[in-house]
Amino acid sequence: MNIFISGGCKNGKSYHAQELARDMAREKNVPLYYLATMIPHDHEDDARIVRHLAEREGWGFETIEQGVEICQALTGTTTEGKPVDPQGVFLLDSVTALLSNEMFRADGSMDLDCGRRLAEELTEFAKRTGNTVFVSDYIYSDANKFDEFTETYRAALAMLDRTLARVCDQVIEVAYGFKYIYKQEND
Amino acid sequence: MIVIFGGAYQGKLDYARENFNICIDDVFMCQDNSTEIDITKKVICGLENFTFACVKAGLEARDLLADLGDMLSDKIIIVSDISQGIVPLDADQRAWREMNGRCMLWLGKEADRVIRVFCGLGQDIK
Repeated sequence: MNIFISGGCKNGKSYHAQELARDMAREKNVPLYYLATMIPHDHEDDARIVRHLAEREGWGFETIEQGVEICQALTGTTTEGKPVDPQGVFLLDSVTALLSNEMFRADGSMDLDCGRRLAEELTEFAKRTGNTVFVSDYIYSDANKFDEFTETYRAALAMLDRTLARVCDQVIEVAYGFKYIYKQEND
Repeated sequence: MIVIFGGAYQGKLDYARENFNICIDDVFMCQDNSTEIDITKKVICGLENFTFACVKAGLEARDLLADLGDMLSDKIIIVSDISQGIVPLDADQRAWREMNGRCMLWLGKEADRVIRVFCGLGQDIK
C-alpha cells in the first residue's frame, strides 16, 4: 500500500510514518528502507543526520542515500552496499527535501520547472514499489506574500502533494500526533 | 451557503468544480485591489484577495459580507486559510491575516456546509 502523510512541522509525521512503514515491512516480511533525501551542506546538517540516525536505531531500517533522481534508488545499493529490493517497503521523508534538492541544485543552479518531472518520477516510484510511505510538509497557510522563488517552490510542492494524494491508497494528515484519514482504499 | 477553505494551491476551486457541477463562467475571482464582489455569480473565489483589499480600503470584510445578507445563501465561497504561518513583518499583511480570520469565523457560523480541502481531498467540517 502506498501512503501519503502531510501536516505541519514537528507534529509527529515522521514518527507515524516510521511506524506505518515498519508494520508494513513486518507484515509482508520484506526489507525496510529509509530513503535519506537530505544532502548535507554544513555542520548543522551533519548533526541533524546523526540525530535522525539515532532516532531510527533499532527500527530495522536500511538506509539508501538518494537526494535527487529518486527512481535510481530502486536499482542502487544501501549505505552498506547491499542491492536494493524494489519489493521492499520504502519510507521517503521527505518530498519537501527532494523538491528542494531538485529545484535549487547543489552546484548553485536552479531548475524551477522540475515539478512536472518530479511528479512523474514520484508516481513511477509509487507504482514500481507499491509499498512506499511518502512524507511531505503542509506549508500553505502563511499570510505572507512571498518572493517569486518561494511561491514557485510552494506551488510545485503542492502539485506534488496533490499528485501523490491521487496516486496513494491512503492519505493522512497528522496534527500534533492525531491523524485524520482523507482517503482509504483497500489494499 | 457552502464554504470551501484550505491552504494555498490545495485545489479548492477544482474541488468545487468536481463536486458542485459548476463551470468557470459561474466563478467570480476576487481581486486584491478591489472590494467589489459580483453577486450574480454562483461561486465567489479567492475571498482572501477581497479581505486584503478591505485592509487596504480600511473596511471590515466581515461587515461587508454580512450586509449582503440573503444574497449569499446560495453561494459557494472559496477562501484560503492564511492563519497558520509566521506572523508577517508587514503591518498590512498582519492586519490581513486577522481580517481574513474574522471573516472565516463569521462564514463558518453562517454556512450550511463547510469543507476543508487538503491536497485536493475534502473533509466535511460542518
